[in-house]
Amino acid sequence: MFMSSSTDWQVDVLEFAQKCIYCGYCSLCPTYKELKWETYHPRGILEQIKLYFTEGTKEEVKLDTSKSLFEAIFACTMCKMCENICLADIPLLKIWEQIRQESFKKGRWNPSMLSLYNKVKDTYNIYGLPSEDRLTWAKMSGLVMTRRTKKKAPLAYFIGCQAAYSGKMGQVAPSVVKILRKTKTNFTILGTDEWCCGSPVFLAGGYSVGKSFAKHNLDELKKLGVKRLVTACSGCYRTFKIVYPRVLGDSWDIEVLHISELANELIKAGKLKLKHKFKEKITFKDPCELVRHCELIEAPRDVINSIPNVRFEELPSNRNEALCCGGGGLLKLNDSELVGKVNSKLISEIEYSEADIVANGCPTCLDTIMTGVKNKGLDVEVIDIAELILRAMGDK
Amino acid sequence: MTLKKKARSRFVRFLGKQLREDRTTLQIYSRDMADLPSLVSIFFQNIPDGVILASSVKDIQTIYSVANETKTPITQRAAGTAGLGGSITYKKGLVIDTKGFEQHYLVNPLDQTVVVSPSYVFSDLQRKLKLEGFSLCSYPSSYHSATIGGWIAHGGHGIGSAQYGGVLEQIVEIEVVLPTGHLVKYTERDHISLFVGSHGTLGTITEVTLRVKFDIPLKHQGCTFDSPKELIQGLEEIVRIFPYSVWFLNPEHVALFNETFGYNLPIRYVAIISKEVNFEEEELEFSRLFNNAVRNAGGQILDRRYTEDIWQFRFKSFSMLKQCKDFVVSEVILPIEASDKYIRKLVSKFKGNIHLEGEVISPTHYALMMYLLYDEKLSSLKKTLLNLKLFNLTIGSKKVKGTPYSTGLWFSGYYGKIYGKDELRRYKEFKKSVDPKNISNPGKVLSPKLRFLPIVSLKFAVRLASRLIL
Repeated sequence: MFMSSSTDWQVDVLEFAQKCIYCGYCSLCPTYKELKWETYHPRGILEQIKLYFTEGTKEEVKLDTSKSLFEAIFACTMCKMCENICLADIPLLKIWEQIRQESFKKGRWNPSMLSLYNKVKDTYNIYGLPSEDRLTWAKMSGLVMTRRTKKKAPLAYFIGCQAAYSGKMGQVAPSVVKILRKTKTNFTILGTDEWCCGSPVFLAGGYSVGKSFAKHNLDELKKLGVKRLVTACSGCYRTFKIVYPRVLGDSWDIEVLHISELANELIKAGKLKLKHKFKEKITFKDPCELVRHCELIEAPRDVINSIPNVRFEELPSNRNEALCCGGGGLLKLNDSELVGKVNSKLISEIEYSEADIVANGCPTCLDTIMTGVKNKGLDVEVIDIAELILRAMGDK
Repeated sequence: MTLKKKARSRFVRFLGKQLREDRTTLQIYSRDMADLPSLVSIFFQNIPDGVILASSVKDIQTIYSVANETKTPITQRAAGTAGLGGSITYKKGLVIDTKGFEQHYLVNPLDQTVVVSPSYVFSDLQRKLKLEGFSLCSYPSSYHSATIGGWIAHGGHGIGSAQYGGVLEQIVEIEVVLPTGHLVKYTERDHISLFVGSHGTLGTITEVTLRVKFDIPLKHQGCTFDSPKELIQGLEEIVRIFPYSVWFLNPEHVALFNETFGYNLPIRYVAIISKEVNFEEEELEFSRLFNNAVRNAGGQILDRRYTEDIWQFRFKSFSMLKQCKDFVVSEVILPIEASDKYIRKLVSKFKGNIHLEGEVISPTHYALMMYLLYDEKLSSLKKTLLNLKLFNLTIGSKKVKGTPYSTGLWFSGYYGKIYGKDELRRYKEFKKSVDPKNISNPGKVLSPKLRFLPIVSLKFAVRLASRLIL
């Protein structure tokens, strides 16, 4: 449904909180499992919402509740496990976003959250770096992107802040570009005019700033006649797929693809051939934003299974039940220790799978898994699915 | 904050940040799954003085030591997914959240047992067991949220109980911290049975060894019956083929099931039967025996298409509650024999509002979940009256020997009725020996005295109210 204003964007949080039947199924929340106090339990958060928003609640009680409520809401990784299992069909993620917004209004964001918000607002990327540096990844990998930048094309590759700026994600964007070039796909990039998709801003509860980002990106894409948009970042993918239609309504008519979907399409059309054989055992970690938010489940598996003689093994918790890496929902900014605790469960599953390569479709997952694997001393290579596809194409 | 200063300082000294006393936390820990009418809470003090997140045996021992010394009542709480008041305080004191317990897990494949901490949620444990080719024998319908410890304290039956029995039959060994502070392990059934259904009044469970089974695939069959009489006859026939689970719904609940999950089941009494099947011959034999059983009872076989994926909805019954504005829920254990009259009575008393869901828990008994669903928000008074009416029907029927599912707070005083008089005597003796000050979950199992009228017990008051008002 089209949301023209921030009021339309909102849901009646109190009404939904009252619908909770207290079954406790949402106890599978990965951060509640670590923190263990029921104040962090999704149903406990709904109880706090009832206390906070009920008319006539004394200011003193509200203040007391807000302290615990805002603390709990920022301990959420937005993995959507709670909403997916909710027996009362409560739109929990929308509620969590709204409470984050309420916390912003009350001036209760922590400094690092506020700093991120200001960085994104001022520099249009999450690192606070100049827009001119958005193409540094290309220079570093020896790719010349001049002829691809801001050129009219039906397909645009949206790089995303992490792939553009972070050294750890240095291989993601070059891999996608090489896949597109090798398959002779006509594509363009926005270059220095690419702005953050707005995901961190929306996750933090900032509606109006997020909307201005959405408008800018849409205008830029329209100028180039873009009909389809591909990205290798699950956060950007979710924002384009779910948030932009809510914010921009019918004017957002661009088809959004994850790189695994596009690769799958190219494989089926015979344009992309995976010929390199892997000796290593491969597993795939479903990013929450792909699997639970956008229900993108089979495309990455189809791609991996197209690799000749591939030894692919699922993680014990996979598809809709995939574990959260702990890095989502801006948790890293609020409690990096908690990220590590949540992540350790996933790392144990990776260890159990005895995989040599963990492929992934999300830079945030990639980062947290890399850290977890390193901390546990596992001999596992963690790569983005774009990198895996490129290697399977025979590129070294 | 009403915790005595001396007691508070002692708890803070030993447990530090594991004790919380802020208003919000206390409010959250003041309820369980049942959203009680405010009228009821006049009679007891459900908002605790503090909440402790216990994480080890040592914590529990410390808590008991200080609680005994300062006469502070403590109430253990696991997932808080039951609605019988077992995990809410009766006279304030401290709530001990046992979900904080450090989790450990060890499968012994030779003995087919698993040693687990009580804070394990069933679905998490089942996932781990399945990776090793094992499965839980039986588990509650609140499988996605209930903990092992909570189920034992509650005294549960559940899915799989028809074949493997209730929770008591699953326990091989239980480790408990007694209110005296002693850590003990019990392996004899006589001792273990005392802790099953005692809601933590005899101590706090700290480790459990459970019986597990090989992960044998289940095959499902379905059938329908036109009347409660046929249904009960059907259940009597079906239990003879040793099913793993028998789950049934009344026509009103079937209609709601269809509406919620997009099914098109016939609006009759519907039963889904599951059986462990190792190989094809066993499956054929199951089909043959099942067909005979249903035909003998006058029922009809349900199309296999309906039963293929119906199993997954076993754990989603409560999602049907979203279709109504308000509801009241209760559960009763009934003998299969002759209980068709009871079902008929229930249906006629509540005319269309009552939804029934049953699970066979032994060859002779079944657990019946009763939902009263309403399209309008109920007033506190009406909700109280409905609760009393349901209460009266749950335990008041003399013709059919129904018993409450568990005691908790609401059915405190019915321990003898559920487990027998001898068991009650043993319970009382044990309670006296390990908890003379009655600090471990007071107000549960044995009926407490009313707050404003200490000569009257809660059991008597509720029973009287249910008779007089109705």
